[in-house]
Amino acid sequence: MDFGFTIAAYAVAGVLFILSLGGLSGQESAKRAVWYGIVGMAIAVLATLIGPGAGLWWLSIILIALGGIVGHQLATRVQMTQMPELVAIMHSLVGLAAVFVGFNADLMINNISGIYEANGLVLGAVEDGGYKAIGLPKEINDGLSAFGQLIAKKTGVEIGILRVELVLGIWIGAVTFTGSVIAYGKLAGKVNSTAQKLPGGHILNAGAAIASLVLAIMYLSGAGSWTLVLLTILALFIGYHLIMGIGGADMPVVVSMLNSYSGWAAAAIGFSLGNDLLIVVGALVGSSGAILSYIMCKAMNRSFISVILGGFGGPAGEQMAVEGEQVAIDADGVATALNEADSVILIPGYGMAVAQAQGAVSELVSKLRAKGKNVRFAIHPVAGRLPGHMNVLLAEAKVPYDIVMEMDEINDDFPETDVAIVIGSNDIVNPAAQDDPNSPIAGMPVLECWKAKQVFVSKRGQGAGYSGIENPLFFKDNTRMFYGDAKDSINKLLPLID
Amino acid sequence: MKIGTPKEIYEGEARVAMTPDSARQLQKLGYDCLVETGAGAKAGFSDATYEEAGVTVVGSAAELWAEANIIAKVRQPSTEELGYLSADKTLISFFNPAGNEEGMAAAKDKGANVIAMEMVPRISRAQKMDALSSMANIAGYRAVIEAGNNFGRFFTGQVTAAGKVPPAKVLVVGAGVAGLAAIGTSTSLGAITLAFDVRPEVAEQVESMGAEFVYLDFEEEQQDGAATGGYASVQSEEFRNAQLAKFRELAPEVDIVITTALIPNREAPELWTKDMVEAMKPGSVIVDLAAEKGGNCKLTVADEKIVTDNGVTIIGYTDFPSRMATQASNLYSTNIRHMMTDLTPEKDGQIVHNMEDDVIRGATVTHQGEITFPPPPPKVAAIAAQKPKEPVKELTPEERRAQEVAAFKAQTKQQVTLLSIGALLVLAVGLIAPASFMQHFIVFVLAVFIGFQVIWGVAHSLHTPLMAVTNAISSIIILGALIQIGSSSFLIALLAALGIFMAAINIFGGFLVTRRMLAMFQKS
Repeated sequence: MDFGFTIAAYAVAGVLFILSLGGLSGQESAKRAVWYGIVGMAIAVLATLIGPGAGLWWLSIILIALGGIVGHQLATRVQMTQMPELVAIMHSLVGLAAVFVGFNADLMINNISGIYEANGLVLGAVEDGGYKAIGLPKEINDGLSAFGQLIAKKTGVEIGILRVELVLGIWIGAVTFTGSVIAYGKLAGKVNSTAQKLPGGHILNAGAAIASLVLAIMYLSGAGSWTLVLLTILALFIGYHLIMGIGGADMPVVVSMLNSYSGWAAAAIGFSLGNDLLIVVGALVGSSGAILSYIMCKAMNRSFISVILGGFGGPAGEQMAVEGEQVAIDADGVATALNEADSVILIPGYGMAVAQAQGAVSELVSKLRAKGKNVRFAIHPVAGRLPGHMNVLLAEAKVPYDIVMEMDEINDDFPETDVAIVIGSNDIVNPAAQDDPNSPIAGMPVLECWKAKQVFVSKRGQGAGYSGIENPLFFKDNTRMFYGDAKDSINKLLPLID
Repeated sequence: MKIGTPKEIYEGEARVAMTPDSARQLQKLGYDCLVETGAGAKAGFSDATYEEAGVTVVGSAAELWAEANIIAKVRQPSTEELGYLSADKTLISFFNPAGNEEGMAAAKDKGANVIAMEMVPRISRAQKMDALSSMANIAGYRAVIEAGNNFGRFFTGQVTAAGKVPPAKVLVVGAGVAGLAAIGTSTSLGAITLAFDVRPEVAEQVESMGAEFVYLDFEEEQQDGAATGGYASVQSEEFRNAQLAKFRELAPEVDIVITTALIPNREAPELWTKDMVEAMKPGSVIVDLAAEKGGNCKLTVADEKIVTDNGVTIIGYTDFPSRMATQASNLYSTNIRHMMTDLTPEKDGQIVHNMEDDVIRGATVTHQGEITFPPPPPKVAAIAAQKPKEPVKELTPEERRAQEVAAFKAQTKQQVTLLSIGALLVLAVGLIAPASFMQHFIVFVLAVFIGFQVIWGVAHSLHTPLMAVTNAISSIIILGALIQIGSSSFLIALLAALGIFMAAINIFGGFLVTRRMLAMFQKS
């Protein structure tokens, strides 16, 4: 098949990918949208396999099949609470693949340039009076792989640009790789999830970035492939150190940021390979991740820069002291309040995911709804460790999605609500964000659950939350603390709801 | 020390300031308890039950007053009782200090310490000793019961085989403690209950008790009840007129009116005028809980039940708590007991009259031969003052239009700026980059643009599936590896093979997990 057909197939695949992302605007259309994505991917891969340049297609198919088996295992075995880890580790694969492809391009350039030299020619030299590159003699050219031929056709300027792109692709890919691995480690609890810094902190990062830039310039001026290897090592370090410095509560931003990076890496590689589909998809993924990061940052009232550069800024002054005491309540008390309430709002957080309590919560909700109560969920944009994490968990537990509300939809309804139940969330319901200008989370939009008539907080113990910020909500007059593991606590409630 | 309770000598008073239960608690504080014989008889506590609780029963009032160091009683003491006082004695009872200057003077001359239960400040800490509230609670309940007793119909609406009964309509004026208790009782009996109060901030409390708050068509800066310690204050003439107009409108509809409006240290305001009474249906009942202070209805006769010419019963009893003597004694004696707990910090049966304490200072009217009434304002405000709400400014259509235009202009400006910057950057790239690059670059720019347009539309709840899908499709990098794997160089082929393998994991894993997630989203 000729090249034109492959490009046509890419165009179809590109449209399908756009539809696939656009379809995620609603739950129903999303189910269709995934199929668009799958078909698009199948078309793209097939067209490339039968198109020019692909050799060893039997090996490719075996590898794809093997990858498919591994992927299938991963996808079917993963618990919904482990979604953030899975997404993170998959990003790392994209990053690493981008690094490999980028290196291949460099190797190929060296190869071709070697062939040129062997024939007494210079790669990238331009014909007199024209801008077309001087090609290799036909018999040598035909002996090259399609990718080799592609490079062999390029002029000097084009090769220069190609190198810029592959440096970018490798750098971003390498940062994505180690960053995602660390993010995975933090989310899976294998790496200490508090923000950590090597001595030197930002300077170390900045130094590594500057060194990468120098190496990149050296590489572009022909210093050889060793610069590329060094640059990759530096990028790997930056990815590692950058994410080590970010606390677990900021993971939604980090994961979407890495998502974005993996897209940009793909786009950069697309440029160097001259492949439009890679560029299109890379750009789509890149902008999608960027928008998600933006949404997450806005939900935390933090600038993207401050999240990326790590952790919270120091508070401007003394934080407000919290007065009062935390009053505990037992399951009977909560059940009585729930039996009497007409409207209930549940606010799940990461604690619900940790305790795997979504099933019990769902059962509680269906029991309450069966009694005709108005039960809803309020989801803060950064609840959990992944954008939309809570929605997925609740969906898994068969909570209908039309009672799961966003913060902006439900925040005004708290004053008319009888009971608000906070399950394993902390910072997203912290009134200090509004009341205390010195709080590290001041100005962050929060769920105003304390305006409900009664608030129950299901929490393991008295300690401060993830971010270590004292939460005045727990000390409010209308708040009762329902201590215990979220799953056990909710299960204790179930038989008491009549 | 000894604490004693005499028999109430006020005519018709059935309450008693110490019950066997409270005596047991007082003994735990280290006190010896005394009671005059027959003191609890009317409230249902015999001398025998007192003795069982370890209380010494003494034969006469004189003996009791002589023996006890602390005397707890209910009603304001009579001149005779004040005569028993001496320098080492403490009296705890209702005292009406504002209208009882002679009493105070007498106590001062004797050098006795007097704690007036009605002077307990209304702060959270002192609620347990707030006898006015506990008595008002009983009065409110009893007012509804008395009204029911004199009302010829059911409270609740019923449809029976013998005909349909409409529900009674009850109006409660004044939503203080008594008013709220009346509202609660009335709604739980099934009546349609309306309630009014001059403090609009209590509307929420009224509604929480199940009654409907009657709003006036009147706009005036209302004084916050918090400024006056939670009590109502005097209203302006216009407000009063609006209020009376509303009542006049309601009078023909309501079956039972319970008025509880009292302003501290003033005569009760007239709220239910003669013409309103005349407008009411025959058989209706008015219970005036303010009868002692002249009544909210001027036809009320204190301590009596009268029936007007048009058949409206007006109840002016002033002894509602005493009519439920057992209950009232239980609550009052508990208030007294809490007061004693505060007065006995060491639990050693010795009174410590700490004049630095807001509650004790507030309630004390004479102390060591001096009149200490009125007390200074408490250090702690009773109720946090409400923050005035920022009025939302109503915009005129012109202003709104102007705002829209301004917003539109700002938006246009922002968009144009962004576009020009973007265009300049693209042009700058175009200046240095060769045409073959620009062909791809245009694709890139458009794809980013499409990405931004499409992703904003993605539902919040689908952000996780979005990440999984973008993850899967970012494995499009597999194409690069597929093109490279055919190379003759072993290293290139190896790296490409690894790339294909990893990307394939991602493609399958990403799409499968997305499908798994989306299949879970269900509508109810």
